[in-house]
Amino acid sequence: MEKSNMFHTLFLVPEKLINKIVTSKYNPLYYHGALPQFIMYVLFLSGLLLFAYYVPTVDNAYFSKNLINAFTSVDYITNSIPFGAVVRAIHRYAGDAMVIAILLHMVRVWFTDRFRQYRWVQWLSGVVLLLMVMFIGQTGYYLIWDERSLLLTRMTVSALESLPGIGEHLKHWFLNGRNITNLTLSNYLFIHIGLSFSLLFALWIHYVRMTRPVITPPPALNYLLVALILLAVYVFPITETKMADLNLQPTNMEIDWFFLWPYWLLSAVGSGGFWFWMVVLLAVLCLIPLPMFYGSKPVEAAEVVTNKCTGCRLCSLDCPYQAIEMVPAPAGSRFKLLATVKSYRCSSCGVCVGACAFDAIDLPEMPDAQVNLKIKELLEAK
Amino acid sequence: MAEERTVITLICERAADINSLINDKSEVTDAPGVKVLKFPCSGMIQPLMVEQAMKSGAAGVIVCGCQIGDCYYREGNKMIRERLLGERPPGLKKTVDRKRVLALWLSKPQKDRFLSEAKEFLSVVRRLDIEESKKG
Repeated sequence: MEKSNMFHTLFLVPEKLINKIVTSKYNPLYYHGALPQFIMYVLFLSGLLLFAYYVPTVDNAYFSKNLINAFTSVDYITNSIPFGAVVRAIHRYAGDAMVIAILLHMVRVWFTDRFRQYRWVQWLSGVVLLLMVMFIGQTGYYLIWDERSLLLTRMTVSALESLPGIGEHLKHWFLNGRNITNLTLSNYLFIHIGLSFSLLFALWIHYVRMTRPVITPPPALNYLLVALILLAVYVFPITETKMADLNLQPTNMEIDWFFLWPYWLLSAVGSGGFWFWMVVLLAVLCLIPLPMFYGSKPVEAAEVVTNKCTGCRLCSLDCPYQAIEMVPAPAGSRFKLLATVKSYRCSSCGVCVGACAFDAIDLPEMPDAQVNLKIKELLEAK
Repeated sequence: MAEERTVITLICERAADINSLINDKSEVTDAPGVKVLKFPCSGMIQPLMVEQAMKSGAAGVIVCGCQIGDCYYREGNKMIRERLLGERPPGLKKTVDRKRVLALWLSKPQKDRFLSEAKEFLSVVRRLDIEESKKG
């Protein structure tokens, strides 16, 4: 009850308002899953432009005026390349927008109860995607190689080192060696870009059980989103920072609350507490779709009436969860194909019933014959 | 004059929450003559059911699903919409009088909208009934 009240004020009120203004076709709340996907393309494109000029080295063994390293290449992009600063800021704020859009997606999916039972694969792959996006965003902050990057690197190393047994190895993997060297930054760049493209693979798993996933918002919404990002770019231009100096120990930094809050947690509770809370958070996120918390009755899957099915495939095409597979009909049948229901994917929504012109598929709770009978009863009762 | 015929409402149980509007005979209290049958999703409604209701003597059929774009089961309301419009098989038969079918897409809190639309539709189909009985 409480959840539905909160849902009402949080979503239904703005939803109704937006529907009145722009009609449901352009309501961003109906594209909460597609928005992060569009932002991903913005990030890929702006990231590609930045990649063209980025040099992943530390190289401060010889400090000269013509020093070329990660920081100066970012500086060059920002100050010398036409619109370089804009592209860089777009890349940063689109990243923040990505986190906002993912959180909106997650919260709305949770409130509308669209995450469990036949949708648990989508929820769990979504948690993995969120973790990937967080880590990609953080590596983005390492790549700039200013004082904040150095502090973040050292904090990460201390957190990794504190893990018993594997800590030392993780540190070597993270720094690509025992110390911060040129190789460290190439590792960061590899993680940043490699993991970004791995998003596509994780998204495939995210979508694999859904027929026709909504992955493109209407262009009007895309333009609006880009306009909002550009607004952020011009209102909050990226400030100048200082190059990392390995001989110094920076202690303070500006925190981007979308990506860098784990570092705030780390400094607040120390390594042990940090890992404890991270594990708790991850466990909660992963356990949310467990059915035992909801006391809901199990889904009763749709059933095919074998002797009526003509193998026309309409139900399998329309099923929103890829739960109906067409198999060769048994010998002696007049038809070539027979529909079969994968009960573990079925949501019992009845779209297949609506798709069938032969009354050949039924929900056990509400068979066709019963529906027609009820209609007749309603018409006859006075 | 012909007797007053009934309007059948086929509605998704997650669309407009009209539980408070209907009595124990599944009839809308404020619009007598409008009777309600609930489905888990509007996508389950077959065009055949609409035809069946008309054949069995309904004056009209209201199909009500959630807001387009916000189906709990992802696309049920889009599908029945396309089926009624003849854009997705199986479609509604040409013999069914389109004036007597009303499709509504309402989210949970829109029960008032449902009531006003249902009342208006009821009076429209009853006027049609009278006109047709005059024509003979």
